[in-house]
Amino acid sequence: MKVSFQALQRHVDLTGITPERLAEVLPMLGLEVESIHSFGLAPLPLVVVGEILEFSKHPQADRLSVCKVDVGDGQPRQIVCGAKNFKTGDRVPVALPGTIMPSGFEIKVSKLREVESMGMMCSAEELGLGKGEDGLLILTAQKPAIGTPLNQIYGAPDSVLEISVTPNRGDCLGLRGVAREIAAALNLTLKPLSINTPTGFAAQPSATDAFRYVQLNSEFCPYYTARSLRKVKVGPSPEWMRRDLEAAGLRPINNVVDITNWVMLELGQPLHAFDAQQVQEGIIVRGAKAGETLTLLDGKKLELEAGSCVIADAHRPLVLAGVMGGVDSGVTSATTDIILESAWFRPGEVRRVARRAGVATDSSHRFARDVDPAGVELASRLATDLLASYAGAEVVGSAVAAGKPPRAEVKIQLPLGFVAHKTGTSVTDVEVAKCLERLGFSTEKSSSGMTVLVPSFRSDVTRPIDCVEEFIRIYGTDRVPVGRPIAPLPGEEDTRSSLFTREISSRLVGVGFAECCHYTLREAGEIERTLGKSALPQLALENPLTADQTHLRASLIPGLTGALALNLSVHADPAGLFEVGVVFRPQADGTVREFLSVAFATLASPVVRTWKSREAWDVLKAKRMLLDVAALANLSASRLTFAALADGLWQKDQASALVDRGRSAQGACGILDLRWTRSLGIKGTVIAGEFMLPRSAFAEAVRIPRFAAFSSFPPATRDVAVIVPQKTSAAEVLSRVQQSAQKAAAKEFELEAVHCFDVFSGPGLPEGNKSLAFEIRWRHSTRTLTDEEANRAMGVVIAALEKGAGWTIRR
Amino acid sequence: MRPQDDWGLIVFGCFRLPIVSATAQILPMQQSLAQLVAQAHQEAQVIKTRAEMEAFKARIVGPNGSLTALMKNMATLSKEERPVMGKLINEAKKSIEDLLSALLLKIEDAEISATLGAPLDPTLPAIDSPAGQHHPLSQTRERILATFRKLGFTVAEGPEIETEWHCFDALNTPADHPARDMQDTLYLPQSFQSADAPRRGQEALVLRTHTSSVQVRTLLNRKPPLRIVAPGRCFRRDAVDATHSANFHQVEGLWIDHHVTLADLRGVLDFFVKETFGPEAEIRLRPSFFPFTEPSFEMDLRSPNLGRLSNRWLEIMGCGLVDPAVLKNCGLNPEEYSGLAFGLGLERIAMLLHGIDDIRHFYQNDLRFLRQFA
Repeated sequence: MKVSFQALQRHVDLTGITPERLAEVLPMLGLEVESIHSFGLAPLPLVVVGEILEFSKHPQADRLSVCKVDVGDGQPRQIVCGAKNFKTGDRVPVALPGTIMPSGFEIKVSKLREVESMGMMCSAEELGLGKGEDGLLILTAQKPAIGTPLNQIYGAPDSVLEISVTPNRGDCLGLRGVAREIAAALNLTLKPLSINTPTGFAAQPSATDAFRYVQLNSEFCPYYTARSLRKVKVGPSPEWMRRDLEAAGLRPINNVVDITNWVMLELGQPLHAFDAQQVQEGIIVRGAKAGETLTLLDGKKLELEAGSCVIADAHRPLVLAGVMGGVDSGVTSATTDIILESAWFRPGEVRRVARRAGVATDSSHRFARDVDPAGVELASRLATDLLASYAGAEVVGSAVAAGKPPRAEVKIQLPLGFVAHKTGTSVTDVEVAKCLERLGFSTEKSSSGMTVLVPSFRSDVTRPIDCVEEFIRIYGTDRVPVGRPIAPLPGEEDTRSSLFTREISSRLVGVGFAECCHYTLREAGEIERTLGKSALPQLALENPLTADQTHLRASLIPGLTGALALNLSVHADPAGLFEVGVVFRPQADGTVREFLSVAFATLASPVVRTWKSREAWDVLKAKRMLLDVAALANLSASRLTFAALADGLWQKDQASALVDRGRSAQGACGILDLRWTRSLGIKGTVIAGEFMLPRSAFAEAVRIPRFAAFSSFPPATRDVAVIVPQKTSAAEVLSRVQQSAQKAAAKEFELEAVHCFDVFSGPGLPEGNKSLAFEIRWRHSTRTLTDEEANRAMGVVIAALEKGAGWTIRR
Repeated sequence: MRPQDDWGLIVFGCFRLPIVSATAQILPMQQSLAQLVAQAHQEAQVIKTRAEMEAFKARIVGPNGSLTALMKNMATLSKEERPVMGKLINEAKKSIEDLLSALLLKIEDAEISATLGAPLDPTLPAIDSPAGQHHPLSQTRERILATFRKLGFTVAEGPEIETEWHCFDALNTPADHPARDMQDTLYLPQSFQSADAPRRGQEALVLRTHTSSVQVRTLLNRKPPLRIVAPGRCFRRDAVDATHSANFHQVEGLWIDHHVTLADLRGVLDFFVKETFGPEAEIRLRPSFFPFTEPSFEMDLRSPNLGRLSNRWLEIMGCGLVDPAVLKNCGLNPEEYSGLAFGLGLERIAMLLHGIDDIRHFYQNDLRFLRQFA
């Protein structure tokens, strides 16, 4: 809200207090000052009133005029001017040489296209008076004397403080509310309001009123008042009022509208004026009927939502209650009789209706923040005074009120020492009472502590804890002591997913990967590539802001790939990138589950030339990394298998999906789809991996390893190579070797390890076959295995392998 | 000690031997002994390989070696001459043994050098990629979490998709409360079902606008006393510019116990700021409004070490005492328990700490940016 420093002084005496001081005081009350700017004419001693005696066209420039201007120094001066909106005899502001304009530009005697110019005639904008009409500021109508310094005409400049008011402080959306805060903080007295219009309402309109009834038929308006005013002369409002409105950022319209706005700025209570002739019979506050429409003052045509609160006459809705008036019943230059509305609408409903209609007004903003029910009458009376004084209105009778104020003062019982207890200070209740009274609250000692009476303008203070905030705002937070030292709570540990995140990040950093951080919201194409078209509706947002951030990410790989492409393009050698973050995956049961994902991507061969080449990356190294990530998440390699993978991110036949027998983790590793990565401008192949674990997996109990005794006798080691068809998976052969080696050991001794040490295809092998060689290691717990035992076991393995279709033992 | 010196000593020693017992017989032997040793030292200089050394050794101390032969001649000496000559021979033998072990070391050195190749030029650039680096946001997060861990706060987490109840209602921000206007929210369609945040009724699901929702989940699941910090990603329906981002990160703090006061809040935040920004940093609590705290404050920071942002108050987090309504919504008795809560923006802190002027840097992942924080 824009607060004029000059206007504030109507409510509180600020002698000796600068706007800058206020900008220090207000924030510590909870009213943030976003900016201070000067409003009105800055001190410009060399800008004076001049009269244009004559002018002619500039000999060399069609758009310029050469004027003779009298500025009262006895010698008419020549000034070149680009404006068109003047005539001979007009009085205009003239900036004499030496003037520093508000923009910082210095006026000098100069030549414009060979013609000398001894000053500048000014527009309103050039003088810092806001955007006025185009061209020079014409002062002729005001008849100022030639040579008068402009500052004498305009008075001292004002300062306007732009204050941001938190949603709980509707009372500070009026100058008086802000003044009350300042008075409380600086221990000043709020000046009383003097209003001539008497208080009191009639229950029914009189015969002379411009309306025959006021009916309240909506739960959203518990309190409505209306007043008839006749013989109104619609015209411009007084200069001081226009100034106040402009200082607050409002555009003056006519005296009637300006007065309602001015009172709203003053007291925070929005008012509405109807053209009485457009109101048929009476006023009905009711819910809109289905199908009703209303064209608002701004020209917007609304289909009214059934039930939303409107102010209607006998036939049609006239106003969207608390939000904006309709164009049909608004005040125009032809208006003579008006009905002045001052009412209270339910804040939540006004907010909802305004949002739904997509209309935000000064009025809806205030109503949504709960205006003071006691201010309804006050504002109506103040506006009536002004309409009588500045629009010639005749007041017909007393105002008519329907319903009653929805809330009044609130009584709070503050237990003894409550504020000291909550703040951790040693303040006494007497000090507390003093602070609260400065805010306009009254207090009374009671048997159990203190009774605080909170005026109705403070809807936000209803509980003892609210009084603590009120107290501390006035007392000062800097007087709160810095608290006691604290010891850790026993037995507490970080959540496991956070420990995992930290640990895995450190490991990846340790092997040379750089951590990235990408947006969660992605464009549709990326989701389609990752999970297919069918996932699009499952991951879409309801109300995305931009077309490139419409969906939840399902994988971290696209982000990393983008970062690889970016870094390649800027020649920042992307050795390896990783990210740890949440991804969203649709599940078989129709839900979407959050997974903590760890993903990495790197180019298969380095892009930067070095004097000694780097180790290249391949898919099986990525697999190693994936298994290490899984192990850190407590997923043993034994529950994980790798299966064929077909989706848009990965290159066909060159990537593998990680399958978790425990059905919690998901993942993949391999080469990224080449056509895709090439389309991003990446020349080499990209090796990547992603491991995803649902949050629930971190809740699984961590198994504590149990010690198993090991043998002190040497093992027996045997090698076997088996030739199998090319398409047979290594896992299948390995598993057969493991099973048979296990079986061969029976319960006599133990199979210790089987590992693949050679994979070969080529000369010497039948076409379309490959050879896999394994080392098998057995061991006995209490003695050395004999050759015969090992050979016998080997026989079992060979026999088992030979049963494989198309498998032969390589001898 | 070089062999030559060794030899010189022996020669010197010979002449110092008492000549009294020397006879005509001992002198020739003494001379050939000296000659043998001198010759051995000379020959040793050209020996390069282990095999050469073995042959050399055999020539002197082998069964048919020259020294062995001299020793055999001892028998021809008189009883008086023998100890004198014996001493001389022992000295010569010792000299030869030293020579041989020196030779062995030299040969081994040569062998090792041969395996290792040319000498190292330590000024050559190191190869392979250097260690990677944590993202500056992660670094800032860990720094902040470490600070609060010292005060007994432990890390809690919650889902990024939340029910409106957890994100707003439970936090004392009912529908149509103007506080919901403070932040524009991203919603998920009514058809969306979250496995991690099941709806309680017909409420909407949102991308959480703050990590304060973790407060609610913690209060519902754990018994006080508790102190948690909840780092995480949050979302607002904001257009991206230098200071706004469609997603950003917060660290939320919560401390619930029987008697937590404003003084505790000041204590915790003062500690945090001094740990993070140095002992010269100061804080002030500026009254403000959040639906879930009462009283509520913006915490401002002022420090002389923040570059062009030095020595002025900067808003860095919202905080306050937990509103009794929140405790009640989470099933705690506000008469029995009280608490404090705070929430800070990671990006904001990281930008202040490192002098970063545009929030978009964090999400572009240009390594020229990321590597500055290694």
